[in-house]
Amino acid sequence: MGVSRRDFLKGLAIGGTTGYLAMAGASSTVLKDVFVPPRPIGDFDIGECKSVKCTVVSETSWFNNARLVKDMKDAGGLLVNQYIIPWTHEGVKEGYNGDNSGGFCTLIDVELMDGSKKKILLDCGWNTAWMDECLEREGVDKMLENHEIDMLFVTHEHFDHYWGVESVLKHCPDIPIIVPKGFYKEGFDLLKGANFPIAKVKNDYPHTGPLEVRESGKVHPLFPGAASITFDSAIITRVTGEQGLVFNVAGKGLVAITGCCHMGIISFLEEIKHTVKGGDKIYGIQGGLHISPFEDWDPQYDDLIKALPGYGIEILGCNHCTGYLTAEKMVLAGMPVVQGTARFKSKKKLYLGNGDQIMFG
Amino acid sequence: MINLKDHMWLESRVMENKMPQPVRGIVGVLFSFVIFYALWWVFMDPRGILRWYTPQYGYMYVRWILIVAIWQAYVFNFWPFSLKWRETSHPLVTGAVLIAVNFAIVGAVIWGFFYNFLGIYSIPYLSVDKLVSKGMTEFFAREYSSLAILMFAAIASWLSPIVPVCFENHPWQSMKQPARGITVFCVTALFSILAFFCLMHPHYHVLFWPWQEYAAAYPWWFDFARTLHGNFNVGWVMCGTVAIWMLEITFDRYPFVMIKNKIWRGFAGFFGVFLFAILLFVTFNFIQDVAWGPAVEGAKRILAPDWRYLHSGELAIMMLIPAMILNFYFDNGPKKYGVAGNIALRLLIIVISTVIFHWLYYKFSPAMLGTQAAYSHPQQFPMAPGILFICVMLFHNWFMDLWPGKKRIGNIDKVLEDDEE
Repeated sequence: MGVSRRDFLKGLAIGGTTGYLAMAGASSTVLKDVFVPPRPIGDFDIGECKSVKCTVVSETSWFNNARLVKDMKDAGGLLVNQYIIPWTHEGVKEGYNGDNSGGFCTLIDVELMDGSKKKILLDCGWNTAWMDECLEREGVDKMLENHEIDMLFVTHEHFDHYWGVESVLKHCPDIPIIVPKGFYKEGFDLLKGANFPIAKVKNDYPHTGPLEVRESGKVHPLFPGAASITFDSAIITRVTGEQGLVFNVAGKGLVAITGCCHMGIISFLEEIKHTVKGGDKIYGIQGGLHISPFEDWDPQYDDLIKALPGYGIEILGCNHCTGYLTAEKMVLAGMPVVQGTARFKSKKKLYLGNGDQIMFG
Repeated sequence: MINLKDHMWLESRVMENKMPQPVRGIVGVLFSFVIFYALWWVFMDPRGILRWYTPQYGYMYVRWILIVAIWQAYVFNFWPFSLKWRETSHPLVTGAVLIAVNFAIVGAVIWGFFYNFLGIYSIPYLSVDKLVSKGMTEFFAREYSSLAILMFAAIASWLSPIVPVCFENHPWQSMKQPARGITVFCVTALFSILAFFCLMHPHYHVLFWPWQEYAAAYPWWFDFARTLHGNFNVGWVMCGTVAIWMLEITFDRYPFVMIKNKIWRGFAGFFGVFLFAILLFVTFNFIQDVAWGPAVEGAKRILAPDWRYLHSGELAIMMLIPAMILNFYFDNGPKKYGVAGNIALRLLIIVISTVIFHWLYYKFSPAMLGTQAAYSHPQQFPMAPGILFICVMLFHNWFMDLWPGKKRIGNIDKVLEDDEE
C-alpha cells in the first residue's frame, strides 16, 4: 500500500496536531482545575486540650529484622495470614530471652482544658512476657487494675500491636476497646479467648467490656480535644484497616499520634489538614511512621523526607517502624526529631525508645 | 508477493477455524486462562507452591519470559528449530518444547548472566548474594536486584519489537537466520542497555545509603516528575511496550504501513509509538488525578506520585489484555468499516473492556490470585499476573497456533519456497 508524500505529510500534520492537543488538554492546568479542584482546609471541630504526654511503653516490636522477614518469607511471603505463620520464639540472640517478639505500646496522658485527665493505651504489644515486664516498668499494670486508663485504642490488627492483648486484659478485662474496621474473625476470637497454636498467640482472659469498631473515612471524636481517623489501608500479612489519633493542643496546634501509620504519614497529615479544624497547623507527631521498618529503602521514602518539612512540624517524635535509617536522614535534613535514651533494649538514641517520654503543650 | 525475507513465519501462517464464534473465542480465552492459573498457582501464588510473587522476584521471571518469547518468535523466527518441525509437529508438542526452551533461557539469563556474572563482576545490585554479603536482608536484596533485572527485560520488550514491527527488519531483511536474529538482538540489546542506564540506574543512586553519587547520576526526572523513584520511567516505558503491541495487533501497523520506504517507515513508527506512549501515560495520570485527587509529594500508596506513574503503566497493561484477546480469539473484529472505522471501533471495545477488567481485577484478584487487597499496596502488583497472562496468550498463539480453536493448514507458498532455499 503506497501513499503520496503530500498525503502522508497531511496525515502527519493532522495526527500530530490532534495528538498534541489531546496531550496538552489532558495535562493542562485549566483542565486540572476544572476536574481536580483543590481540597479546602478542614472544618471539623474536635475541641481543645491543654497537653498530651506520651510514654513509650515499648517500641521494639521485634528484635531481629532479618529473622522476622525470614519468618514471613518462609511462610510464603508478606501476604500470608499472620495467624498461620510460625513466628520465631526461641534461639534469637538479641531477642527477649531468645524470643524475637516484643511489641508496640504507648501510654497517652491528656490534660483537658478543665484540668481533668484522660489516659489512652495505644496498642498492647505482642509477646505477653515482654509486655508484662514493660507494663510493670511504666506502672501501667497498676493503672489498669485501678481503672485509670479510659480505653485501649488498637491502631490495627498486626501481631506486634495487638497480640499482647492478654497482658492488658489480665489486669482489666472490662477495659473499653476501640478497633478499626477491617478486623478479621481471628482478631475478634482472640479477644474472646482464642488460642492460635501455629502463631503461638493466645488470650486466657476474655474481654468483658465494650468494644467499638470504627468506620473508615471519617473523623471520630473521643473527648474534647481528641479524635481518631480510620483508614481502610491494606497491610502486609493480610491485615486491613488502621486508625490514628489527632489532638488539638491549645495555643500550639494539632498533634498526630500513630501506631504504625501504614496509610503513610503524609496521607495522615493530609487527611487531618483537610478534615479537622486547624488542620493548617500540625504542631507535632509521635509514633511509628512506617517508612523503613526493616531498614530497607525505597526512593519514595526520600520523596517523603523532602516533603515532610513543608508541613511545619515543630516536634517530631517517632520510633518503631520509622526505622533508624529514616531517622538518620531526617536529622540530616534538619527535621526536629526528638532523640531517645536507648534503654530497655531500644538500640539507638536516634529516636524515642522504650521508657522515653515526649510532651506536647 | 509475500517474501520470507521481509516477513516472519508467524505472518505466513494460513489458519483454519475449527469452531464457530463465539465458541472459538471463549474456548481460546479459557484455554489460556487455565494454563495461566496453573502457572500462577505453581510459581507465584502466596498460597501456592513456590510463592515467588513477593512481588518483584516473581515479576522478574514473568518479564523475562515475555522478552524471551519475543526473541524466539519475532527476532529469531524460531531458530534453531526448523520451520518444518514447527509446521509438522502437533501444537501441544511445539508448545511444550518452545515453552521449556523459553523457561530454560530465562533461568540461564537470570541465574547465569545476572546473578553470577554481571552482579559479581560489574554491578552488585544485580546479584542477591552480593547485596546480602554487604549486610542487606535477603528478602530486600532479592527484591532490589529483581527490579533491576526485570527492567532490562521491560525496556527490551519495548525496543525489541520496534525492528520487526516498525522497520520490518530493515536494513537486515536479507540476512538469514541466525545471523539476522543475532544482529537484531545485538542492536536492540545495545539500545536497551543504554536506556536502562539512563532510565533506571539513577534510581539506584538513591536506593542505597550513602547515596551512590560517584556511581550513578541523580534521578534527572525529579524536578518535573516530583519523585526520585524510577517508577516514573517504569510507567511510560510500560506505555511504550503497550503502544508498540497495539500498533501491531489493533492498528495493523496503520498508518505507518502506508509509508513505502521501510527505513522511513521504521523511524516514523518508532517516534509514533513514542508519542502514543506519552499520550497514554499523560492521559492515565490525568484520569487518576480525577478519580483520587492530585498526587501529593512524599505520600505513600494511592497519593504517591511514583505509584500514580506505575499505575499508568498498569492501566496500559490492562488495556493490552483485551486488545490481545480481541485480536487472538475474536478475529480482531470489527473489520467491515474501512481501516479508520475498524480501528476506532476496536479502540472503543478495548477501552470499555479495560474499564470492566480494571474493576474485575481489583474485585477478585485477592481471592483468586492471593494478591493484596486495595489498589496501591506494594503487594498488589497487577503487572505480574497481567503480563503472565499475556505471555500465556502469546505462547498459545505463537507456539501452539491457537489450538484447539484453530489449525494451521499451511503457509503462503512463496514463503515455504524461500525457506527451503
